[in-house]
Amino acid sequence: MSESPAALRGDRSIAYLALLPSAVLLMLLVAVPTFTVIMISMQDVGIGELSGRFVGLDNYVWVLTHPSFYQALVNTLIWVFGCVSLDMFIGLGIALLLNQSFTLRGIARAVALAPYLIPTIVAVLVWRYMFHDIVGVLNYLLMKIGVIEHSLLWLNSPGTAMLSVILVGTWKFFPFVVLALLGILQSIPQEQYESARIDGASAIQQFRLITLPYLMPIFLLTAMLRTIWTFHKFDIIYLLTGGGPLNATTTLPIFVYQKAFIDFETGRATATAIVISLILAAMLGVYFVLIRRAEKRQ
Amino acid sequence: MLRMIAGLELPTKGDILIDDHVVTRLQPKDRNIAMVFQNYALYPHMTIFENIAFPLRVRGLKSKDIVEKVRWATSLVKIDHLLDRKPREASGGERQRTALARSLVRDPSVFLLDEPLSNLDAKLRNSARDELRQFQERVGVTSIYVTHDQTEAMALGDRIVVLDKGCIRQVGSPEEIYGQPADTFVASFMGAPPMNLFKTDRMTIGFRPENFLPEESFQDKDELMVLPFRPQRDEYLGDERLFYGDTEAPLPAARVVARVSISLHVLITLKEWTNFAVRRSDLRFFDTASGLALPSSAETPQSQVGWESYV
Repeated sequence: MSESPAALRGDRSIAYLALLPSAVLLMLLVAVPTFTVIMISMQDVGIGELSGRFVGLDNYVWVLTHPSFYQALVNTLIWVFGCVSLDMFIGLGIALLLNQSFTLRGIARAVALAPYLIPTIVAVLVWRYMFHDIVGVLNYLLMKIGVIEHSLLWLNSPGTAMLSVILVGTWKFFPFVVLALLGILQSIPQEQYESARIDGASAIQQFRLITLPYLMPIFLLTAMLRTIWTFHKFDIIYLLTGGGPLNATTTLPIFVYQKAFIDFETGRATATAIVISLILAAMLGVYFVLIRRAEKRQ
Repeated sequence: MLRMIAGLELPTKGDILIDDHVVTRLQPKDRNIAMVFQNYALYPHMTIFENIAFPLRVRGLKSKDIVEKVRWATSLVKIDHLLDRKPREASGGERQRTALARSLVRDPSVFLLDEPLSNLDAKLRNSARDELRQFQERVGVTSIYVTHDQTEAMALGDRIVVLDKGCIRQVGSPEEIYGQPADTFVASFMGAPPMNLFKTDRMTIGFRPENFLPEESFQDKDELMVLPFRPQRDEYLGDERLFYGDTEAPLPAARVVARVSISLHVLITLKEWTNFAVRRSDLRFFDTASGLALPSSAETPQSQVGWESYV
């Protein structure tokens, strides 16, 4: 090319100039809050204060040596694993079902998506009625078919509280999985199944050898998104149980909330939040490796 | 049609027989047929080897037998060197051969081919057509080949079935289909450019463009029907020239095409009337109302005498 280096240099500075507003915006929106949080996590910030005495890594030491942090971590892992595995399992099943052709399929698809569209607060109120030990429909039905002998305190006993919130979390978000997987299922060319049928592949072989490889990357990506969102999920648990009974459903976000807004220990709360981010980042790393492997196979 | 033979769809009525067995209600896998789809239906996440091995794998063959069988099939279609590639890393022609090899490994009693060449470019299509025919002769399996391309049908078929909107119009060898079309649909469908047709009230008279030549190029003038022709436009195709123009009496005025070989050194001037002619034996007659062929002049002498009286 015959362009002079000077002209090129000029073009390049204009290009950087054009990028500047977005770069500044990004800094303000991401870098500044992150930096602030890191700073606060190393200070002893109390009630009504924005900063406090610098304490180094004391807050982190507190977090990592405090038993209730580990209790919340275990609760979070149960909550995330329970929700995401049920979400994925039920979502895949319903997506496969809705991919078949049957009458009223359009209506069935709309109904399957309904939980995703209902506002969390409405869903939680309805579920609290259903879980109710006296008027709840869940106890009534389970007693009627003989699974349980007397009413269970679904949300108010440590044994069933986690199960109950997982149930609601799964119910609320499995439609997202259906939506993502159904899109992929519909893009698989029908000829591949027809060819496989002529070649003598059974329905299970067709699923294992054709459907699954097509689904895998999106399946893992969806599982990753669901993991991030479920890890951070606050409203469903807080509105259903408030983290109780006896901290049985206190996950990490609720633990942070209690530290920051009930105990007013903002420094320790932010330190916990940063530890959470690191744990989540490690989990996402595993997903990225899996997704890359699945995509390579395609 | 192919989908019914393959067992993917049920016929509304009637039965399908393969080797004297009624297979109408059998599952696709129990019919021992192989099908090559228009888009080849290869599995994108499997290598070419895995694709070809698929029918054997789902039947639970031992991996040693699978490898042997795949090697045999790939050597027949000459893609041995591509086995580790994914379909998207192979060219259109290679994909087509992969699909052929996949259908071959099962030793089917019938091959069903659904426009396998339509996804290839024009140049490749010609050589692929030749290879396909050679391949078919080598394996010697009955093949049903669906195509929209008349040239392909003529080139590959031992027997051609001309279908129009699901109805069979004619069954016959390429020579029969081209030379003795059963009706005006077949006459105008097979051959490019199509047969020239002249409609009168009772009878439609037709002849092929290559039989419509300047009168002076014929030796034996007794056998001819002479027709004045005024070419309006011509197309030079290298080995031949197509003339598009009008005719007049004795036949009703119509747009006709003449296909004149370049080796036939005659001077034809555009927009001027020239006497062209057709051998009487090359004329074909159809009933105007039904479109069905009437006995041709060569076989029935009385119509040879009589055609002018119909006009």
